[in-house]
Amino acid sequence: MSLRASRKLLVSAVLLLAAAGCTDLTVAPESTVTTANIFKDPNSYKEYLAKLYAGLQATGSVGPYGNRDIQSITDEGFSGYLRLYWQMEELPTEEAIIGWGDAALQELNTQVWGSSNQFLGGMYARVFFQVSLANEFLRQTTDAQLASRGVSGQLAADIKQYRAEARFLRALAYWNGIDLFGDIPLVKEDLVPGSPPPKQASRAEIFQFIESELNEIKPDLPAPGAATYGRASSVAADMLLAELYLNAKVYTGTDRSADARLAAERVIASGAYSLDPTYQNMFLADNNKSPEIIFAIPSDGLHQQSYGGMTTIVHASVGGNMNPSAYGLNGGWWGLRTRPEFVALFAGTGSADARSAPLFTDGQNLDVASIGNFNDGYALPKYRNVTSTGQAGSSKEFVDVDFPMFRLADAYLIYAEAVLRGGGGDMATAVQYVNLLRQRAYGNTSGNITAADLTLDFILAERGRELYWEAHRRTDLIRFDKFTTNGVWQWKGNVHDGRTTDAKFNLYPLPAAELLANPNLHQNAGY
Amino acid sequence: MWRIGFVCLVATIFVTDPALAQAGRISGTVTSTDGARPIAGAQVRVVGTRFGALTRDDGRYTITVQPGTYTLRVTRIGFTPDSMTGVVVTVDAPATADFRLQPAAVRLAGVVSIGYGTQEVRDKTGAVDVVSSDEFNTGRVVSPEQLIQSKVAGVQVVDNNEPGGGMSVRIRGASSINASSEPLYVVDGVPLQVGGGISDGDLARPGRNPLNFLNPSDIESISVLKDASAAAIYGSRGTNGVIIIKTKRGNAGSKQVTFGSTVSQSVVTGGPDLLNASQFRAAVQQFAPTNVTKLGTANTNWRDAVQHNAIGKEQQLAVSGGRDDMNYRLALGYLDQSGVLLSTGLRRLSTSFNYADKLFDKIDLTANLKGSRTDDHFTPGAVLGNATAFDPTQPIRTSTGSYFEWADNLAPGNPLAELALISDRGTTYRSVGNLESKYHLPFIEGLSTTLNLGYDLASAKRTTFTPSVERSQIVSGNGGNFYRTTPSQVNTVLDLYGNYVRKFDEYRSDVDLTAGYSYERSRGDYPAITVNGLTSDLLGPNGIPASTKAPLPTLFVDESRLASFFGRVNYTLADKYLTTLSVRRDGSSKFGPSNQWGVFPAAAFAWRLSEEPFMKRFSQVSDLKLRLSWGVNGNQSFSNYLYTSSYTLGNGLAQAQFGDQWVTTIRPSAVDPNIKWEQTTSTNVGLDYGIVKNRVTGTVDYYAKKTKDLIFTVPVAGGTNLSDFVTTNIGSLQNHGLELGLNAQVLQGGFHGLTWNASFNASTNSNKMLRINAGGSGTEQILVGGIAGGVGNTIEVLQPGYAINTFLVYKHKMLDGKPVYSDVNGDGTINEADLYEDINGDGIVNFSDRRPYKNPAPKWILAHTSQLGYRDFDASFTMRAYLGNYIYNNVASNLGNYSRIQGSGTPVNLDASVLKYGFVNPQYFSDVYIEKASFLRMDNVTLGYTFRHLGTLNALRLFGTIQNAFTITGYSGVDPTAGIDGIDNNIYPRSRTYLTGANVQF
Repeated sequence: MSLRASRKLLVSAVLLLAAAGCTDLTVAPESTVTTANIFKDPNSYKEYLAKLYAGLQATGSVGPYGNRDIQSITDEGFSGYLRLYWQMEELPTEEAIIGWGDAALQELNTQVWGSSNQFLGGMYARVFFQVSLANEFLRQTTDAQLASRGVSGQLAADIKQYRAEARFLRALAYWNGIDLFGDIPLVKEDLVPGSPPPKQASRAEIFQFIESELNEIKPDLPAPGAATYGRASSVAADMLLAELYLNAKVYTGTDRSADARLAAERVIASGAYSLDPTYQNMFLADNNKSPEIIFAIPSDGLHQQSYGGMTTIVHASVGGNMNPSAYGLNGGWWGLRTRPEFVALFAGTGSADARSAPLFTDGQNLDVASIGNFNDGYALPKYRNVTSTGQAGSSKEFVDVDFPMFRLADAYLIYAEAVLRGGGGDMATAVQYVNLLRQRAYGNTSGNITAADLTLDFILAERGRELYWEAHRRTDLIRFDKFTTNGVWQWKGNVHDGRTTDAKFNLYPLPAAELLANPNLHQNAGY
Repeated sequence: MWRIGFVCLVATIFVTDPALAQAGRISGTVTSTDGARPIAGAQVRVVGTRFGALTRDDGRYTITVQPGTYTLRVTRIGFTPDSMTGVVVTVDAPATADFRLQPAAVRLAGVVSIGYGTQEVRDKTGAVDVVSSDEFNTGRVVSPEQLIQSKVAGVQVVDNNEPGGGMSVRIRGASSINASSEPLYVVDGVPLQVGGGISDGDLARPGRNPLNFLNPSDIESISVLKDASAAAIYGSRGTNGVIIIKTKRGNAGSKQVTFGSTVSQSVVTGGPDLLNASQFRAAVQQFAPTNVTKLGTANTNWRDAVQHNAIGKEQQLAVSGGRDDMNYRLALGYLDQSGVLLSTGLRRLSTSFNYADKLFDKIDLTANLKGSRTDDHFTPGAVLGNATAFDPTQPIRTSTGSYFEWADNLAPGNPLAELALISDRGTTYRSVGNLESKYHLPFIEGLSTTLNLGYDLASAKRTTFTPSVERSQIVSGNGGNFYRTTPSQVNTVLDLYGNYVRKFDEYRSDVDLTAGYSYERSRGDYPAITVNGLTSDLLGPNGIPASTKAPLPTLFVDESRLASFFGRVNYTLADKYLTTLSVRRDGSSKFGPSNQWGVFPAAAFAWRLSEEPFMKRFSQVSDLKLRLSWGVNGNQSFSNYLYTSSYTLGNGLAQAQFGDQWVTTIRPSAVDPNIKWEQTTSTNVGLDYGIVKNRVTGTVDYYAKKTKDLIFTVPVAGGTNLSDFVTTNIGSLQNHGLELGLNAQVLQGGFHGLTWNASFNASTNSNKMLRINAGGSGTEQILVGGIAGGVGNTIEVLQPGYAINTFLVYKHKMLDGKPVYSDVNGDGTINEADLYEDINGDGIVNFSDRRPYKNPAPKWILAHTSQLGYRDFDASFTMRAYLGNYIYNNVASNLGNYSRIQGSGTPVNLDASVLKYGFVNPQYFSDVYIEKASFLRMDNVTLGYTFRHLGTLNALRLFGTIQNAFTITGYSGVDPTAGIDGIDNNIYPRSRTYLTGANVQF
């Protein structure tokens, strides 16, 4: 081979090798931030916590929809925590019925659901979405992690509080989880992503976990005040404890009425909240100003647009002869009404009880002859997208009405019920608390009751009158054993006149998809 | 990377020798045995060298070579190849070599692209097929995929009826359950980013079909690599097969100018079977008397109102020519095609330039440049769905002249108002090009190095404008919407490979070695802006007025890289035993560091039985070759960054309230850091045959493919990841099938000069999920196939033991041949328990009684093409049949129930199936909607006449074509080819196209 030829060969070989050197395949995402650098921005801690709160209503990271959080429900608008939770607490009860044709909704209306119902799958996913995100936040904000990032001073103090709030939100999700589904896995921050499927924990174990968590974080939670609206305060933690204890017998078999009473007392004694002078104002576009709301899921036409919560509830309750603009809306969605058995809670009081004012009867039949017909069943537009001064909300599509998850009236009623259930306390105070609510409703003392009137049956009815459509009803009915084997209302059991149903419906089934994904789980009895 | 390539290019030029000092010449004429017609475009090659030429129109060719003794080989599609040995060339005496070629059925001749090289079809070892331009489908062909529909066994081309609409191509069934089972497309050496790229129809992607940039009339041939051994040279992208497109080149010889022009009209032939106004009135009166007051007095066919006869026009101009060592082709094309749905259409202006030259007699330089501008007019809003659902008793316009609209917000909007008000248009600029330099190293005979630099640039925009006065905007309170997306993408590729081709006569061996390196980089940039609450509608789609709501701009960029090393050996012994071994090692940035690299080997062996002495007595058998192959391919056509845990930043509309502050959110994403390649292992056994001097040729192939580590997004156990679904490797599936191809020259001009070529192909594929192991658990079913009706309802399932996308439905009880619809058990309601079989026998009829039942993939695809010629007349037709495919008639299941007109909402029109079945409530999951959709379709009938030698005109051909002439099917819905997933819901109307045109050659 000539010298020239070998030189060419050499040149070619060098070029080949040079080209072959280009094998670097590390390409980091540029338009998204990664775990490696997200916390270089100190605002990230707060923004992460904001996602945990937003997760109670927003369906994704982009409003009104887009970049959804969970995929168990393909139509993103249906996948919001509040919307799913509200449907599961209200639709199977006498308080509400919805006319839309979605099979899964009709199963909820009539108490005939099975494990394939997608809304159950969606709610289960929502519970664990909150839990997983809270866990990740706790992992990312350990002392060691913060020290490695050089976090100190005010930011460190803030993060301590954020951690307490994250644990509150995790406890809240777990409470909803055991209330709806019974025994579910208890996943804490020590379970890292990608772990094998967790074991199932009993309701009682999770009950204990929630209880200890709430007691532990209370000192780190902020005191209630204007700056914390939309966030959990220490009073919200007590309120959640009160709810938990009140239903302890259902969850664990052990009555904890005394603890429920004490927790309610702490809420009332905090003095941070007072009854809203006008009942209706708690359900309007400016209800963030209400002095009574302890913990709300905020909704806003400009900053928090989604179909995952109040927007849907408010729109769905409007139709028929209602003028949508009177409700601050661009149109009604002709879905939600109530059943005659709920209307009967106000029997004899007529319009004297202001809480019945939202019942809309014009063009509506009391009887729900057909579930699909909006005109069958009185409409009940309790929430309206107008302010207390009559102004429309900031958007006619996305409402400004916040969801009042915990409010003082509930604490009063919990106190009264706990007293009746032998939880100690004072009967006279219980009567006084109930009468405070009734005086507000009647505008005078004409609706007041005496100690003799204050029975458990009365409490259940009064909770219906006071707290309807606030996502308490199913839990209440189960505590009073009136949800399945007792208690009849129209379309319960999928017949017009209603009938009792199997006791298995006191729990929702674990979603079919979840049983496949996690073979450790045992389905609830009867499903 | 570019810089290195450039250096290499310059270096290759620099080190080159000057031209051949002492050259000889071979020339001659190639003619046909029937009538001594000159054959143009035949390839004459000097075997064992890089020299060769194409014959001119008069059949003549000239090749310049060094003096010596050579073997010449001539190939031309449509003729049996021929060769001539002992051609002696000296400096003084040019050699003459004339050939007379025997016409043959087309398949055994010609050259097939096999990736980084070519191979003669007769020498193929794998399952590869080539379709050349003479065999392409004719008529109105907007997208290149349509050219080979029905032409290759085992290749299913599914179009969506929309002109230029997105297409699905399946080669030997689907090998993936994720988004892409589409093959890899390589155009003139540049792999295209399809799917992950810029266009597949959704709003964020501004074009319809990513191949639309390519003018079908610029394509010379389309090669299809079907089996793993053939596709393995593309390694991680070969799982779904590879389609290699070569564009036309100029021919050495006189300059040629061609001009073609066509005009077409398309007429709607199919649509859903809906109630007419009087049927609708009757239905409302009987089943929804409370809604009679809502009825109107008009008789409107809303579907007809949004459709029209669509006109298409197309012009092509091409100039080509060349000398012995240089050729060029320049082409321009213009297409203006409107759709049968009002206001939809497509316009394309395309150019193509090909240039090939020999530099210093050592370097083959080839440049291919293509560019196009495509304007797409999309179906605005929900026109199709609304035209289907609108009450036929309502008028289009009220007596005051304004569009009729319902007051009820949930009612369908007037589709004509949507057409008038909403605009949805896109423009895509795309250019694909490459520069290839092949350097013949002087010191080792047969050794060359090739550097190929390619690019694929796309830049597009799509603007949707909905004025504030449009109904959906009023209803939602949105106040007008402007949306504009302007994505752009740049892909670059560098291939550097060496090739060694040598014939060792003493060992009766042919060796063809290829080894090289390839590097690709793809970068995308996706900005978009949404503006709601427009203060003025006057600017339309051309400007953004002040808005009452904050505009929402977004930007996303991404990048991926692929680095590869590959090698291939083709070894032929005694022209009888042919072996191919290949391997590719691919590294992809789409996977995490521990899973980036994959190795994809393949091997194939072929035995030309017809060359064996024991076959000589079967004189009728002119060719017989047995092929065996095995190989592993990968699939990496997934989104980028699947393995990295990233955070999603929320926007200003999904904030959380902290006191009086609104805080933007961040969210961690759920990932599987260990995600890895999908891998397909396949084997193929094939037989190529030719009988009666290759007058009848054909192939038979049997294949089996198994894909493992399928990537899919599946539910994970609650609490074990950061969301409820994660994208991971979950299971395996298999395909196996049989393909038959037959080409026959039935008449060769003997019968009054009549010629008739007929080709048939048939293929069957059977697909089955083998295993699913999501999250290490035993998930047995993954629900897929979303339908219209109910929220989140799905109709299909992935389940081990069944084909992918098998329908999951109830078994509807039948009575007197009709599905039961009555309260059988007397419980006062008509529900599942009355209508459906209790399949699992647990006494309850619920979702667990849905069973896998039928699937959308055809069991058999049959196709036939005939080409006839008589004097100057030519005629051809292509027909196609699917057997055993099923479709879910979603229009019927969604609109075929009386509940649609009942209740307090606005009644919508019903599917006519309701008259037959009488369903009051929707029965989405009933198997009555799973319809057999076998069909026979006359895809194309063409008749042409050619005038020859008219003055300066070389030839003038006039022709007419009817496309989609007729379809015979029992399917009741819109189209039995309804989409690859078998769900027929508001698909674009089917139409028949009449086309006339002329081609002129100067």
